[in-house]
Amino acid sequence: MAKDYIDNPAALKIDLMLRGLRIDDPLVKAWACGVDGIDIMLPHNTLVNIPCREEFTKGSPYTIRKKDGGYVIGGHSSEVAVSLVPKPKFYERKTSTGIPFAKIASVHGGVTSITPSPRCDFFNANVECKYCAGNLDVKGMDKTVYSVDDVVETVAAVLADGIRGIIYLSTGFSDEPDGGIVFLKPYLQAIKNKFHCLVAVETLPPKENRWIDETYALGADSVLYNLEIYDKELFELICPGRAASIGRKRYMSALEYAARIFPSGTVASHLIVGLEPPGSTIMGVDCLVNMGVVPILPIYRPGHGKALRIDPLTAEIILPVYKHLYKAVKKSNISLNWVKDLSMVTTPAEMRAIVDKTASNGSLIEGFYKSKIGRKAAWGLSSLMRKLRVKKSEEDE
Amino acid sequence: MGFEIDTRPLWLLLLLRARRLMFFMALAAVFFYLLFMSAPAGLSVEGQRAIAIFIVCLVLWMSNMVPLAITSLFAIVLVPLLGVLSKKDTYAIFGNEAVFFILGAFMLAGAIMHSGLSNRIALNIMDRFGKSPRTLLLSIFLLAASLSFVMSEHAVAAMLFPIVFDISKGLGLKPGKSNYAKLLFFALAWGCVIGGIGTFLGGARVPLAIGILKESTGLSIDFLDYAIAVFPLVIVMLIVGYLLMSRFFPSEVTDVSSAHAVLGKRLKGLSKISYNEYAVGGVLVLTIFAWVFFGKLLGLATIALSSVVCLFVFQLVRWKDIEEYVNWGIILMYGGAIILGSALDKSGAAQWLVDSILVNWADRPWMVFATFSLLSIALTEAMSNAAVIAILLPVSIGMADRVGMSPVALTYSIAVPAGLAFMFPMSTPANAIAVSSNYITIKDMTKGGIIMCLTAWVVFNLLAAYYWPLIGMGYMK
Ligand code: SF4
Repeated sequence: MAKDYIDNPAALKIDLMLRGLRIDDPLVKAWACGVDGIDIMLPHNTLVNIPCREEFTKGSPYTIRKKDGGYVIGGHSSEVAVSLVPKPKFYERKTSTGIPFAKIASVHGGVTSITPSPRCDFFNANVECKYCAGNLDVKGMDKTVYSVDDVVETVAAVLADGIRGIIYLSTGFSDEPDGGIVFLKPYLQAIKNKFHCLVAVETLPPKENRWIDETYALGADSVLYNLEIYDKELFELICPGRAASIGRKRYMSALEYAARIFPSGTVASHLIVGLEPPGSTIMGVDCLVNMGVVPILPIYRPGHGKALRIDPLTAEIILPVYKHLYKAVKKSNISLNWVKDLSMVTTPAEMRAIVDKTASNGSLIEGFYKSKIGRKAAWGLSSLMRKLRVKKSEEDE
Repeated sequence: MGFEIDTRPLWLLLLLRARRLMFFMALAAVFFYLLFMSAPAGLSVEGQRAIAIFIVCLVLWMSNMVPLAITSLFAIVLVPLLGVLSKKDTYAIFGNEAVFFILGAFMLAGAIMHSGLSNRIALNIMDRFGKSPRTLLLSIFLLAASLSFVMSEHAVAAMLFPIVFDISKGLGLKPGKSNYAKLLFFALAWGCVIGGIGTFLGGARVPLAIGILKESTGLSIDFLDYAIAVFPLVIVMLIVGYLLMSRFFPSEVTDVSSAHAVLGKRLKGLSKISYNEYAVGGVLVLTIFAWVFFGKLLGLATIALSSVVCLFVFQLVRWKDIEEYVNWGIILMYGGAIILGSALDKSGAAQWLVDSILVNWADRPWMVFATFSLLSIALTEAMSNAAVIAILLPVSIGMADRVGMSPVALTYSIAVPAGLAFMFPMSTPANAIAVSSNYITIKDMTKGGIIMCLTAWVVFNLLAAYYWPLIGMGYMK
């Protein structure tokens, strides 16, 4: 019988993401209805989005049930008190043009993710990433592009609900040399003009570095160019569209450049755990960290008919990868205050508890940045830095 | 529009930004200290205040932390506010004849440029005389100098720059490498600088100096007298400049026929000479005639403004045509400088400065003259020539009385060298324009500039000592 990790929230998060959760409790079942994963708060404020509908979750040792007015997640022999993260109230409401806010934005802990155009042209060229859940556009899906006003209204609703943290603006694949930042520009500017909030931008690496300068200058506080797979051959095999139109080399050079332009800890890249051997992921972590980039390690969730996962894939095999992640980032002195509190992925900061079992909730500074005043300070600092660092140059584009 | 991201550490960026704030705080502290410290013996309260304002303006003019004109406005505000001069006097001084002369000169130059006359003259002269590399170079050099006799040297440099640039391109000269290109741009810059000191019209600094002189002493300098006194210096510097250029940058070009193609093309692009050009040219000739022969009687500003009125009466220009050529910033700057000079003089501050500081290290007339001219030529390399005059002249006029020298001679000792900025691009716009071509480097300019400056200083002092007495001028009253 595979062991469980009930007593270590960081390891438990990874194991839950890997194996999922069985839901027997009818109340929780009803609560989780219609979603792919449920957001649950583990001890030490460790937020996790746990898969509960996929096939592989049926063999999970973890169940959730009600106990003493609260909830517990039980493993083989012990259990731990957890809490369900309530769904944001704004999910129930619509924009003034009648679009449900839930369609435009989704909240994952400290991150509210907004994708103004749910389309990815890789699908239409049959070069989509093999692991992709296809929740962006696939052939035949509508080509809706949410207006700037709709997105601004959504952000207003998010903030009015008291949801703080970072707004993630992302695009799917765009064939433009700017990687998608020109498309996101009006959204980014409108949000920055109207609200005092931090905004991260997730696009493809642009062809030229001047777009990275522009991304920063326009107001992005953080940027993500997700490499996803470090191994060269696997990258080309699993992400044929990205490999052909951008290339692994450009991912690296763009990330390296962005890490010089953006403040420490604000440039990040995903490396999906489970699609390549752990040793390769570790090499990827080292490579990114050396460039000053924060690696974020989501765990591959096999979808319907997609069996790309390396086998076997257990917590015992991948926990050393996460330990290495924490140690590498810590050693490099990259700031850990930006990439945090994400339910869908695992961040370096959360992995402190794996390395140091006595660690509680992070450092004093991390605690400060989680507070209301800390968030305001982070926004102020980021805006001040931009003001000091950005100079307009007269050359034509 | 693109963006540049400064990736230096945040503390450094903050420090650089705070530098400005710290600078102004330190300046304010110095100002209040000077204002409230106990007045030294022999200095009146008004004099102490005038010195405090003078030092703040001096620092601002030298540092360029705010535009020159704004520093002048600051002086205009502080002088009556601190009771150094009355409000009525302060603003009356702003209406000085020199300010209106400068205004008129700007407008006349604007009318000439706008009519296309100056451009036509320049193209024709270069086309006609520039048949060989040497004559082309000389024609640019002499043309820049002679146009700067009648127009602001900055305007001449700006007008000739595109033509010289096209010639360099037409000859296929390599930026930074070609010696002949360096020669052409040096001829442009130094021609303008040397020509600019020839008359009142090359730059507004001489009228400014005369304005300060007149406010302080009631004395003035005549258009013709000035030209006669300074002309030998112009000739010597043109010769030295030409020899120096040819020695430092031996030309590699043997044929300039492609430059003629460029000039020919530009000339072809011109329409036939218009009534406006004739008329504006006529007004200019008459104006210079009147300045030379009736300047004393009618006043330079009156003549300049009358000519401007004529241009409008005969509809030779429209207001919007010349509006852009009038540098209102310079006019404000000069008005303020004259007020400050007058405040220093009338409050006794200038006299006190001379008595307590200067008189100890320069007591013979030739030494005083040499010292002020050296200070002027050195300062003008690093700061605006008008600021140099505003800083040095009130003090030098005070000195004149103390050592029995003629204030007019001391006005020359500052006003002329203040125009001799040869060394750096920031010294004068003509140099900056030449360096902006990328054909000459700052190093090239500094190398030749040092020799030009020293030569100019020595020649100017020799002229004052040996030539001026021949034309009835001298150090003494
Ligand atoms: S870029 Fe790849 S992962 Fe992203 S939506 Fe397109 S196919 Fe899916």
